[in-house]
Amino acid sequence: MSPKKRSFWRKIAYLAVIAVLLGLLSWLGRPSTTGTDRHQGSPGGVLAQLREKEQLSQTGLGQIDPAGETIKLATLGLRGIAANILWEKANRYKMKKDWTNLSATLEQITRLQPNFISVWRFQAWNLAYNVSAEFDDFRERYRWVIRGIDFLKGGIKYNQREPRLLWDVGWFISQKIGRSDERKQFRRLFKADDDFHGDRPVALRDNWLVGKEWFERAEELVDSLGVTMKGMSPLIFRSDAPMCQMNYAEALETDGTFGEVARGAWIGAAKEWDRYGSVDIPTSYGVNIRLSEQERFEKIAKELVEKLEALQPGLREKIIQEKRAKLTDAQREALATPLKDRAEDQHKLAAEATEALKVTNELLARRITGPKRKEALELAKEATEAQQRADVIRRYRQVVNYTYWGDRAKIEQENDTLSARKLIYQGDQALAEADLTAARDFYDRGLATWRKVLDRFPVLIEDNTFGSDMIEVIGRYRRILDQLDDPFPKNFILQDVIDRHGASG
Amino acid sequence: MVLEHAETLPLEIWFPLALLKWLLVLGGVSVAVLMVGWLSVSIHHGPVAGIRIVGRLLAAMVGDMSHISPRRVWALSWLAVRESIRRRVMVVFAVFIVILLFAGWFLDPGSTNPTRLYLSFVLTATSYLVLLLALFLSSLSLPADIKSKTLHTVVTKPVRPNEILLGRICGFTMVGTFLLVTMAAISYVFVVRGLSHTHELTDADLHAVQYRAQSQPAVREGLTSRVHRHRHLATIEPAGQGRIAMEQNHWHDLEIEKSDGKTTYKLSRPRGMLVARVPVYGTLRFKDRDGKDSQKGVNVGDEWAYRSYIEGGTLATAVWTFDGITKKRFPESLFPKGLPVEMTIEVFRTYKGDTDDPEHIPGIPGSLSVRNPATGEMVEAVIFTAREFTTDVVYIPRRLQTPDGKVLDLFDDLVSDGKMEIWLRCVQPAQYFGAAQADVYLRARDASFTLNFIKGYFGIWLQMVLIIGIGVLFSTFLSGPVAIIATSGALIGGVFSGFMMRLAHGEVIGGGPIEAFIRIILQQNLVSDMEPGMRTTVAQMLDVVLGYGLYVAASILPAFGEFGFSDYVAYGFDISGAVILKNTCRAVAYLVPLFVAAYLFLKTREVAK
Repeated sequence: MSPKKRSFWRKIAYLAVIAVLLGLLSWLGRPSTTGTDRHQGSPGGVLAQLREKEQLSQTGLGQIDPAGETIKLATLGLRGIAANILWEKANRYKMKKDWTNLSATLEQITRLQPNFISVWRFQAWNLAYNVSAEFDDFRERYRWVIRGIDFLKGGIKYNQREPRLLWDVGWFISQKIGRSDERKQFRRLFKADDDFHGDRPVALRDNWLVGKEWFERAEELVDSLGVTMKGMSPLIFRSDAPMCQMNYAEALETDGTFGEVARGAWIGAAKEWDRYGSVDIPTSYGVNIRLSEQERFEKIAKELVEKLEALQPGLREKIIQEKRAKLTDAQREALATPLKDRAEDQHKLAAEATEALKVTNELLARRITGPKRKEALELAKEATEAQQRADVIRRYRQVVNYTYWGDRAKIEQENDTLSARKLIYQGDQALAEADLTAARDFYDRGLATWRKVLDRFPVLIEDNTFGSDMIEVIGRYRRILDQLDDPFPKNFILQDVIDRHGASG
Repeated sequence: MVLEHAETLPLEIWFPLALLKWLLVLGGVSVAVLMVGWLSVSIHHGPVAGIRIVGRLLAAMVGDMSHISPRRVWALSWLAVRESIRRRVMVVFAVFIVILLFAGWFLDPGSTNPTRLYLSFVLTATSYLVLLLALFLSSLSLPADIKSKTLHTVVTKPVRPNEILLGRICGFTMVGTFLLVTMAAISYVFVVRGLSHTHELTDADLHAVQYRAQSQPAVREGLTSRVHRHRHLATIEPAGQGRIAMEQNHWHDLEIEKSDGKTTYKLSRPRGMLVARVPVYGTLRFKDRDGKDSQKGVNVGDEWAYRSYIEGGTLATAVWTFDGITKKRFPESLFPKGLPVEMTIEVFRTYKGDTDDPEHIPGIPGSLSVRNPATGEMVEAVIFTAREFTTDVVYIPRRLQTPDGKVLDLFDDLVSDGKMEIWLRCVQPAQYFGAAQADVYLRARDASFTLNFIKGYFGIWLQMVLIIGIGVLFSTFLSGPVAIIATSGALIGGVFSGFMMRLAHGEVIGGGPIEAFIRIILQQNLVSDMEPGMRTTVAQMLDVVLGYGLYVAASILPAFGEFGFSDYVAYGFDISGAVILKNTCRAVAYLVPLFVAAYLFLKTREVAK
């Protein structure tokens, strides 16, 4: 082949390779287009389709910021390096407490990587928690808290599929404003903050209610898009909104609002708590549970066990007797000794004996012979499963103190409870005004009313949260009496609370 | 303003010392260069001929330097200017305009200190662009001329090599200066317009507040409209005067007009935003909790060791000694309230305060006392509440009363030979005040912001001229792309010279370059010690050797960061004449040897002979 021809064919080969590569590039990277009335849109190349499927496209994540996109282009593919340098700078500014430059730098990172959730969270936390605490004046602190919240809200625009940011806004508004040392002032400023609320009615400007709205938005996002709430147990995540309603009701009473408004708030709290109880919650045991179903499963388990035992009446007792016969003398003696009189080694022996005497449903079923054996085994299996489910629910309930809050929301609606709280509040007001006699009278009446409540709902006495609150109230009562030189009553009306929760008050 | 590495020596002491050091270094380097030159020539021509050749070169240099013709330099400069225009330098200007057009998207006028943000932005953007332009222009020019043989035409004319170089440097400087001046003017308008705003205030915004006894008329207070994400608290006194509270480091003047029974409130443009304070700094020393002299205060564990702390409720004191305090400098007509002291005190709290009553957390009180260093006479002048993250102003009255009732005159009794001490103490026990030298100063007057802004651009100009000098030097013996890389290396090295010096001294956590490289590869953290062994020993030995190289590089390269005055302008501090003079001297100190070296390189090149 002549050199001229070779050169010609080489060019043809180059062109062919270019065409193949372009084809490959188009197949992989063709962007998707949206359709119009006349033309149908294209789903784009493989990468575009994958992005769409995995919800990674910029439009799928949230609003597109033209400024951010411009910066991204300007970094010529060095976005990661630029963000790293900016992080380093931000840390240096934080160390030097240069808040202006820290804010500006983090703002740049958010422009560069608007879907980098940690930056939004880090900066919002910085502003609302770290920077705000540097100021003495609570008004200044409040402003920094709001700056943090506003910053998070800015992040939500670009990350509309990220429930974490919504949840954070809820947390900042509810917890930072409602639980700080300055909560009284923060809540007051929050209510009066027209810039933050816009046209929201004043009655709805409570931080707990607004926080609840954001928690609910996070829940809605999780439910509607099927996205997950990373790094947070669904049990806790779902409890935040109803707990906000509880805290709202509690805060109303702390601020001195009683009567129908407070009752309404508690009714709402009870309803929301019931709703929370009926939500499906995935567990680490591999099953989904509903917190309200513990009693139902316990009842089912009980009925199944009764059915099982009815298949061969007296069998359980018989097995126990057999097991008892196998115990050692020492174990039998330990078991017979009352708990308080047991020696140290007897506790262990008694525990071993109790374990040895246990008759499981499976054991019971296996001992049943004849045609009923199959039914027995099935009943045993079902009963154990129901009991296990009830146990899982019980454990999960303990994490969020489910039973206490459920009971509390119902009890707080009662006239007696409302009036007991009001009387104690009035007593505190009188104490603040140094009217000790009036304070004592209010407290006497308030504690007597609490007695009535506790007699009706003895379950409250057992609860530690209620107990510690009540011990604080009793402590204040004791101080009033001390200042009046009155002795603390010998047969104190709430002595059982002191006995149960310590005499520290 | 934070001055971490402030040059504290007065100009008259600094200059002779710096000159001496410069001459010594220059002398040493010259001798070394001559020796190397002679040796390399001697290899080919023998030692005696070597001396003759080197001597001839030196004689030619003296001749060339003493016969520089301004007319020829001007002609060559103009040539460089025309060449730059041909190279479309105006593109940089267009880029600048585009950046400014989009800047509004990134700059938040509602930030806590928008002035700082805006000024830092325009100064940084301008310096990046101009330095890049200087880098490319200066590095590419001569190599391109050599490549295209244009230089051959030039050297056949009666021009000297130093005139060619000077022409290039001056020409590029002229182009850069023109761009810089234009950018400065546009930046100024951008900053002033970007920050300018006003608020609205109406009667409906105001409500009566009873601060005094019930019998006294109430003042009226209210918030202005929200502009640039902030509002101001407006207070109208019963007598009718109004004032607007400080917010985002500025305030507005309030004009109240009444006509037809209707009151209108007019707020001025922002005041106090664009300032250039002229500070009088003192020297700082400390006293410990027992009142004994100590080099430093307490370390409260702050990661940033810039400030030293004094314990409250003890004798721990931060003492600033000021010089040049005279009645003439602070006349009563201009300073009727007394001596203005501005402070940026940091507070380290060991407890938060009375959390049961946050409404009345009083802040951390401190005291300022004035002491005559000669007589020891001291009087407590001001009790204040510390305000952090902002510049607080207190005034030391001209007449001060001692606890025993004696009245002292500030200038007659508490100042000796212009010297005066200010003692800062934290009053509240178990709380701490943190202070650094630049944290307390006397605000002598306010200079013109516009002039200060220009001075800020002068800093960029100095950097630009240096880059042009370095670029031209490299372009005399390197090809265009290599000269660009070399000049960029010098620029980057200069910017990080402080870091390189710390690296050379082994002050950087994570070891020297080799050790750090091993740590990166092995993904080791910076803090834990390297595993003992051969590898570590070799790495650390190499680091010591590299440390010397880094030391030399860091000492030679111009520290570009120190030439920039952006922080002064952004933080609202006047750039003093002394600072400008020192930096100009530094720049000249670099430019002279750069020019001579470039001359020698060009002179010895084949093309220019």
